[in-house]
Amino acid sequence: MKFYPYKRLNRPIALRVTSASLKLPDNTRDLLDTSAWSVPQRTVALGVAQHDDWTSARIGLSATLPPGAVADDAPWTGLKVLVTLADGETNVRTSVELRQDAPGSKEWSGFVEVNRDDHVGRAFLSAQAVATVDDVAGRSVAETDEDWTVDVTADEPLGGLRLDVKQVGFAKSSREWLHAYADAPWIVDASGRVPAVLVNTDVEGFADLLDAESGGMENKVHELLVTQMSTDVWTAVFHSAVGDLETESDGTPVFPTDWRGEVLREMLPDVAPGVHVEEALRRVHRRRTGDAGWVELQTRIHYAAVRRAGVSRALSQALRALQQSNRGDHA
Amino acid sequence: METGEDFGPWLARQLKLAGKNQAELADELKLTRAAVSAWITGRSVPRPTMMTEIARALGTDIGTVHTRTTDTQAGLPVTWYHRPGYQDGGRDGGNAAAFAFDADVQVLARETCQNSLDERLTDNGRPVRVRYTIHEITGETLDAFRQAILWDELQPHYEAVSEAAAHQKVGRVVHAGVRDMFEKGRLVLLRVDDYNASGLVGDDYDNGKFAAVVRRQLESLKSDRGAGGSFGLGKATLWATSALGMVLINSTLSVPHEGRTERRVIGRLELPWRSVGDGTYAGPAWLGRPDPDSPGAQVTRSWWADEDIVERLHLTRDSDEPGTSFLIVGAHDVASLDESNADRVVDDENGRDGQEDDGTRDIRSMHRRLVEALERDFWAAMTAGGSRLPLLETSVRTLRNGQVVVEEQQIDPTEAQPARTRALRAFYEGTTVDRLTEPGQVALRTVPLKLPLAGGRRGTHGTHQAVLLVTDAGDKDGVPKQVHSLRGNRMTIKRSTVAGLPLGVNSFQAVLLTGTAAGEAAPFAEEAEEFLRAAEPPEHDRWGQTEELTLRWSHTAHHRIARLTTEVNAAVKELVARPKRSGDEGGAKLRKALTVSPTKKTTSRRAAGPGLPELDGLDASIGPAGEWRITAEVKLPRVDELPVMTPVVLLDVRSGARPRLDWAELVAEEGCEMEDGVLRFTPGARRAVFGGATDVTSHPVRTALTRLVLELRAGQGE
Repeated sequence: MKFYPYKRLNRPIALRVTSASLKLPDNTRDLLDTSAWSVPQRTVALGVAQHDDWTSARIGLSATLPPGAVADDAPWTGLKVLVTLADGETNVRTSVELRQDAPGSKEWSGFVEVNRDDHVGRAFLSAQAVATVDDVAGRSVAETDEDWTVDVTADEPLGGLRLDVKQVGFAKSSREWLHAYADAPWIVDASGRVPAVLVNTDVEGFADLLDAESGGMENKVHELLVTQMSTDVWTAVFHSAVGDLETESDGTPVFPTDWRGEVLREMLPDVAPGVHVEEALRRVHRRRTGDAGWVELQTRIHYAAVRRAGVSRALSQALRALQQSNRGDHA
Repeated sequence: METGEDFGPWLARQLKLAGKNQAELADELKLTRAAVSAWITGRSVPRPTMMTEIARALGTDIGTVHTRTTDTQAGLPVTWYHRPGYQDGGRDGGNAAAFAFDADVQVLARETCQNSLDERLTDNGRPVRVRYTIHEITGETLDAFRQAILWDELQPHYEAVSEAAAHQKVGRVVHAGVRDMFEKGRLVLLRVDDYNASGLVGDDYDNGKFAAVVRRQLESLKSDRGAGGSFGLGKATLWATSALGMVLINSTLSVPHEGRTERRVIGRLELPWRSVGDGTYAGPAWLGRPDPDSPGAQVTRSWWADEDIVERLHLTRDSDEPGTSFLIVGAHDVASLDESNADRVVDDENGRDGQEDDGTRDIRSMHRRLVEALERDFWAAMTAGGSRLPLLETSVRTLRNGQVVVEEQQIDPTEAQPARTRALRAFYEGTTVDRLTEPGQVALRTVPLKLPLAGGRRGTHGTHQAVLLVTDAGDKDGVPKQVHSLRGNRMTIKRSTVAGLPLGVNSFQAVLLTGTAAGEAAPFAEEAEEFLRAAEPPEHDRWGQTEELTLRWSHTAHHRIARLTTEVNAAVKELVARPKRSGDEGGAKLRKALTVSPTKKTTSRRAAGPGLPELDGLDASIGPAGEWRITAEVKLPRVDELPVMTPVVLLDVRSGARPRLDWAELVAEEGCEMEDGVLRFTPGARRAVFGGATDVTSHPVRTALTRLVLELRAGQGE
C-alpha cells in the first residue's frame, strides 16, 4: 500500500487516443482509421500493410482529469498535464505537454510524435498531472492507472506481448544452426528481440495440423499439441528471462523492461505466490544464483507454465472425447 | 363565439335524437312540413323569432340553437350499451386481441406512438406530438370521475365478472382492478394524446378510422403503405393496459364529420361474457348516445360532447389541433414487476413511503418506463437534422389529483441516444464520411437488399440500397456494438449485436435505414418498405419468416433478409475492425496461447492468495524528526490458523529495486501482538491494527520527497 507525503488525487486520469496519422517519406500524412486503435485493449497499432516506410506518427490524445484537479481550492498551483511515451527496449522517453481545452476545464488535449527509428516494437503511453504542492514543484498529483500501448509494427490493435511463430524447414534452412535440430518438430529461440517458436516444416503434416480448424478428434489432438508446445515455450522463456537479469550493486535483480519483464510479471505470481512481483523476482534470483533451492523451484516453474498453457482444460476435453469415441466403438 | 355546424344537418340530427320526425316538428311549430324540410336540406334558414320556437320544441335553450356546437340534451341520454350475448350461447372470455399483450406501458408506448406516426398530418410538415399523462385520482376527484362514467350502471357488470373471476384471466384482472380502486381508494388514468394527427374520422359504423378503432378488431386502416402497423392489433394494447378494460376516447377530426370536428367522444369497455339480471352480454360495451336508427335505439354511438362533459371525463384537449386522446381507465403495468424486483430492495432502504407498495400501479415507475421506451424505440423519429423537422415529439408527465408529481418531460433523443442521433443527423445533413478517423465522425455505407419477385417466382425484382451508418459510441448509448434497423416510420424494428468482431474493437453504434428511410432517391424504397413490413411479426420487433411473407412472396423470401444482415455485419466489420492478416503462420490457437494479454493479467495475478491477511488501510504522516509514522489496518481472513506476517516499509521508485527502511518502533494496537518485528494475530479476530515509525537514519533521501510503501509479507522475514 502506497502513501504520499502530500495531498493528491486518488482517482486516475482517463487518457484517450483521438486520432493517429503516419508521416510518409514524401512528407505527406496519412490519417489512419479509428480501427487502428482499440479503447478496450488500450493499444494503437501503427503497422499498416500499405505503409511500411513511414517515418513518424502523430497520435492525438485527450485526457480527462479526475474531479477536484482544477478546483479553485485545490491545494496545488501550476497544474500541467504531461504525456510520456516510454520504450523499455530502446530506452527512449518522449514527454509532451497537453493543452487545457478551456480555462478551468478538466479536458486537456495534444499529440505525441512517435519517431519510427526510436522504437522497435511496443512503447507505453501514460499521462501525469504535475503541480507545485507545498512549495515543491513537479509533484505528480494524478496519473493514468493503465498505460496505452503503441505498437509500431502490429497491424491489429491487440495489446500485450505476442511471441513469434515461424515455420521453417530445419534441415535445409539458411540458418545453419538449425540443421542440428533437424529431427525436432519445434524449438524455442529466445535470443531474438521477441522469443520465437520455430516450427519444423520438414515434419510432414505437422504444420497442417497446427493450422487445422476442423472438429472432432483431430481438433482435440491439435489442442493438446498447442498446450504442449506452449508449456515448452513458457518454460523456456521464463528460464531465459531469469537467466539474464541485470543486478544492482548490492546484488538485487532489476526488473527487465522488455519482453522478459512481461513474461516475469505474467508468471511470477504462480512461481512465488503471495508476494509482490519484485520480491518474487528477488527470491527466484537468490535461489538461482545461491547455493540451494533452484532445483526445488523447477516444479513451481513447470506448474506456472502448465497453468499458463491451460493444459488441464485441454487434457480433460481430450479425455472426454476419447471416452465418447470408445463408447461409440463398442455400441 | 364558436361557429357551429350548418343548421340543416344539425336540426336533422336533433330530430333524430329526440325521436321526432319532420312532420311532428312542423305540427308543433304550426308550419308546413315543406318549410321544415327546406331548413333541413339547407334551402332556407328559419327566421330569428322562429329559433325560439324551435328551441322550445327541442327542449333546449336558444343559445344552443344559435351556436349549434353541441347536441341538445333532449334526446336519449348518454349511456352504456352492452352487446347482448350471442344467440348460439357462445361465450368469450375476453377480447382475444388484447390477450396478445400483457399490461406493459412500454408496449403501449410503442404501439400508440406507432399509430400516431402513421396518422400524422403530413401536409404541414410538422411533427405529430404525443403526450402521455399519468394521473392518479383519489377521494372527491375519483368520486366525480366515477359519476361521469356512470359507474352505477356498470357496477352490476363488474360484479358479475368478479363472480366468475376464478375461471378466467380477464375476470381475475378486472376483479383485482376494481378491488384496488375501492380498497385503496384510487384510480390511475393514463392518457395518450396526439396532436397534428388525423383523428378518428369517418362514420360510426362504416369503413373509416373511427370504426376501425372503436368497433372492430384486427382491422388495420392505415393512411399509407409506409405505415408501421399492419395487424390492427396495436389498439388492443390500450385495453390490455387497463385493469378495468375501459378506454374513453375524445377525438378532434382533421376532416369534418356531420359538419363537426371537435369533441367526438365515445368510450369502450372490454369485459368477458357475463350474465347480469335477466340478460347475458357478449363482452364489449360502448359509452355513447343511443342511436335512434338502431333497433330499439339501444346501440350507442359517438356524440359531440360539450366542454363540461369532456372536462368531467378527464378528456379535455389542449387545443383544437386535430388528433385523438385515449384515456385508459385503471392503467396498470404488470411488466414493471419483472425488472423492479431487483432495485425495489434499494428503494425500500431509502425509506420510500409504504403506500406505493403495489408495483403495477406505481405512477413514478410507469413514468420512468414510458420515458425509457420512447427513448429506445422512437429516438429516430424524434431526430431532426438539416432542413428536416422530426416526425415525432413526445412528452410524459405525472399528476396526482391535478397536482404535478413529475414535471412534464420532453423526450430528447440526443440525451438518451447520443451516438445514434448523431449518426442520423449526419445523414440528414450530408456530413457523413467514408472512413472513420476521428471520434464523432459518422461513416456511411450502402448495403444491398435484393427484393424477390412476388408470387413465388424465382429471381430478383430489384435491389434496394439500404443505408448503414456507423459511429463511435460512449457509455450512455446502452449495449455497445449494436445495429438499430428502421424503416420509413423511423421506429426501431430490430436491435441486433454484430457478431464475429475481433477482440478489442472500439465501442460503436450502427443504424440501418431501409425503405423510405434510406432517402427519397434510394431505389425500390417503396417495395423494400412493403417487403420488410410483411416480414415483421405483430410485435414489430424483428424481421424474419412470417406467414405473410410466405404467402405474398415465397417460403424462402426470408433468406433475403438474412443476407441483408450478413451484408450489414460485413460492412460494419470492415469499418470498425482491421482486416485479418492473411499470412498467419502456425495457427491461430498457438498464437493465442503465446500472447500475454494485458487485460488478462489482472485476473491471473493473485495478490495474496486465499487465506492470507491483507492490508486494508494505511494512514501515515511525517514525524518531527523526519520519520514516517504509520497506522495500518489489516483485514484477517476467516481461517483457523493465521500465519505470522512481517510488515515491511519501502520507498517507491520508478524503476529498480525499492529501498527498504528500518523500523524504529512497531506497536500492536488491536487484534495482534508484535514480536521482534513480526505480527502474530489473535485467533478469531477479524481485523488488526498496528502502528510504527521508521528509523530516520535508514532513509536515503529527505522524507518529504519520498513515497511510502507498506507491505505485509508472509513468514518471519528473511
